[in-house]
Amino acid sequence: MTTPRAHRSRRPHKATAAALAALLAIAGAAGCSSKAKDKDSGKAGAGGVKTDVGVTDKTIKLGVLTDMTGVYATLGKSVTQAQQLYVKQANAEGGICGRKLELVVRDHGYDPQKAVAGYSELEPDVLGFAQFIGSPFVAAVKQRITTDKALVLPQAWSASLLGSEYIRVLGSTYDIETINAIDFLMKEKGLKKGDKLGHVYFEGDYGENALAGSKYMAEQNGLTVVEQKIKPTDNDMTAQVAALKKAGVKAIVISAGPRQAASLVGVAAATGLTVPIIGNNSAYAPQLLGTQAAPALEKMYYISTPSLPIGDDAEGPSKLAADYAAAYPKDSLDNGVVAGWTAAETFGEALKRACEAKDLTREGVDKALLGIKDWNAGFGVHDFTDPSAPSSLESVIIKPDKAAKGGSSVVREAEISDAAKSFKR
Amino acid sequence: MSDVLTKPAPEAATPRTRKLPGPRVYVWLAGFVLLLVLPFYLERFWLQAGLFAMAAAIGAIGLNLLTGATGQLSMGHAFFLAVGAYGYCAFAGDGADGLTGLGLPTWLAAVLAVGLAGVAGGVFSPIAGRLRGAYLGIATLALIFIGQHVLFNAHDLTGGFNGRDVPPFSIFGLTFDDSELLVAAVPFGTAEKLWYLGLVLLLAGGLFARGVLRGRPGRAMNAIRDHQIAAGVMGVPVARYRAAVFVLSSMYAGLAGVLLALVFQRTVPEYFGMVLSLEYLAMIVIGGLGSVSGAVVGAVFVSLLPQILTRYSDSLPLVSEAGTGGVSPGEAAKYLYGAALVAVVLFLPGGLVRLAARRPKASSAQPSGTEGNDR
Repeated sequence: MTTPRAHRSRRPHKATAAALAALLAIAGAAGCSSKAKDKDSGKAGAGGVKTDVGVTDKTIKLGVLTDMTGVYATLGKSVTQAQQLYVKQANAEGGICGRKLELVVRDHGYDPQKAVAGYSELEPDVLGFAQFIGSPFVAAVKQRITTDKALVLPQAWSASLLGSEYIRVLGSTYDIETINAIDFLMKEKGLKKGDKLGHVYFEGDYGENALAGSKYMAEQNGLTVVEQKIKPTDNDMTAQVAALKKAGVKAIVISAGPRQAASLVGVAAATGLTVPIIGNNSAYAPQLLGTQAAPALEKMYYISTPSLPIGDDAEGPSKLAADYAAAYPKDSLDNGVVAGWTAAETFGEALKRACEAKDLTREGVDKALLGIKDWNAGFGVHDFTDPSAPSSLESVIIKPDKAAKGGSSVVREAEISDAAKSFKR
Repeated sequence: MSDVLTKPAPEAATPRTRKLPGPRVYVWLAGFVLLLVLPFYLERFWLQAGLFAMAAAIGAIGLNLLTGATGQLSMGHAFFLAVGAYGYCAFAGDGADGLTGLGLPTWLAAVLAVGLAGVAGGVFSPIAGRLRGAYLGIATLALIFIGQHVLFNAHDLTGGFNGRDVPPFSIFGLTFDDSELLVAAVPFGTAEKLWYLGLVLLLAGGLFARGVLRGRPGRAMNAIRDHQIAAGVMGVPVARYRAAVFVLSSMYAGLAGVLLALVFQRTVPEYFGMVLSLEYLAMIVIGGLGSVSGAVVGAVFVSLLPQILTRYSDSLPLVSEAGTGGVSPGEAAKYLYGAALVAVVLFLPGGLVRLAARRPKASSAQPSGTEGNDR
């Protein structure tokens, strides 16, 4: 637009001819686009196993949509590293179904545009997704997942993700986890009918799903919930503690990040509000034990989590902790490692069963997962037969513990409270 | 910058007596035909990336009218995008998902959503007419915070944190959803169909803005940017113009929001934050302030580059596979993106459109048919 058009009439024929030739070439080629439809689903490959997308005779490709540069960077890193570790070990044992596993990782940095683009890019090439961080993004492509039929294991525990055959939540959702947490407070920490219960929660998916759990418990047991909604950017909990103290709460639930939990517990201890405080699994990181809040945390803080902590002495956790520390000596052990490992192992188990049924197609894998019941991956028991329920209703209650590996030890073993069973989602 | 806008004058004076159109026209035509056939070849990822770029281009054109041509800094562009996107959902939604929806025909909903964004801009225009420069920037910043709060908390309207589904657009009996439509043996899904809608909207939006910039209003806007008092003395109603440009820019943002929502198929509140506003500012600065082509080039650059870098990041040198320790591809892509932005601002202070404008001077000895193809 900005150039003078002095040369306009010079040598027009050559340029015209070139442009026309280009047009013809484009028009002529339109008939033989590689996108043109030729469906060849369900070919039989090596070993007489039926395959469709993402599986060749040598490899099985799994997609990973993670966040290693955005708000969930710490979680994304642990989860992805644990999954790479699983793939490495599985391949060292000869792979699954005679094929090597391969993860195709895309880092979306918690950006909706990149997350949706990542799904569009990977979907035609992979069998399924062993990781997908960010429940709003999973919800955004939910319709497409249903048509594509690729199995997706999201790293999110929101009840809003339940109900699809192809999107399977691993472990208890936040509402169930909170119900189990309050059950613990009532049975073992003296919280009783008529008491006030403080709930500090993040605006958004996680916090509001957890709040649904505490409201249900309040209704069932005659408690009153004192709500304190915060934003992920709020790091100082002084105002919340003051408000909860004024309201006279007997216990506090926190559904926020580790930083908020440390501030809440530290300030509460300093101002003399010595009530038991319990958090969801995302509200704790072993790094907190290096802060000034450590003594208070060890004294009055508990965490409700869907799986055994990585520092547990049981066989699964201790082996994973050792292997992970050997592979990534610089990185700390946290619950993301367990979550990532569990997801990868679940996918692996579904692949093994699909292989036995000689059907490594997407639908074959979905069906194989639906058949998994009472299966223990080493961190808890899972049941995948009902798509409308999370794979487990149990929660383990742990507490911060400087002496333990991974910074936490078990207070109450895996248990499903009665309220968690009766809770209608 | 102003030379960009004074150029058209002699061009308009050129007598239109030539019988044959020049080679430039053919180049444009070839480019356009190329864009038309792309959906037959490209996979969904690329089409989607292109659609994001088209939506961004429409939004950037609007911001360039306001910031580039009239000199009004706005940080609130993301808010108007959100108004367009959520407005469309609310007008077109049928309420089946438990959220407020009027169930209007989708084409009407799209028009109304753009209108709603304009009204939102109009409500803000008393402020936009009085404040200028950095002050307006700060004032519009407030819109982002209010907008995000409403998006997260007005559950019945916005669906809260998880967003709400976007009803597929349909016009003349053609629905832009994933129901397969075979065209020359190529299955057409959402991305393929929307591609053409995006092209039409971008073309219309671009031509309209070009008309505004090249006519009387454009000159008045530039006068306000360059010297407000002088503009006032010459008889330009400064406050009214500034308010009007604000409304127009909001409507462009609204249209971009509608298109984005259609591409995403779900609106998510996280997206419409301050970073998005900053990205739009980056687009017009990188592309070139004050022109339509600058906005389009900048939008394509800013929205495509991160996606391309992320996609090909694992083949970069010195990068280890994600989750195996070392610099991950995602991090590397971010560094490269940052470096590219700095390089453009540093070496092309007039924006990427300068590349096209400068080339003929450097190689004027051998005129070729492609010169001045400032896409």
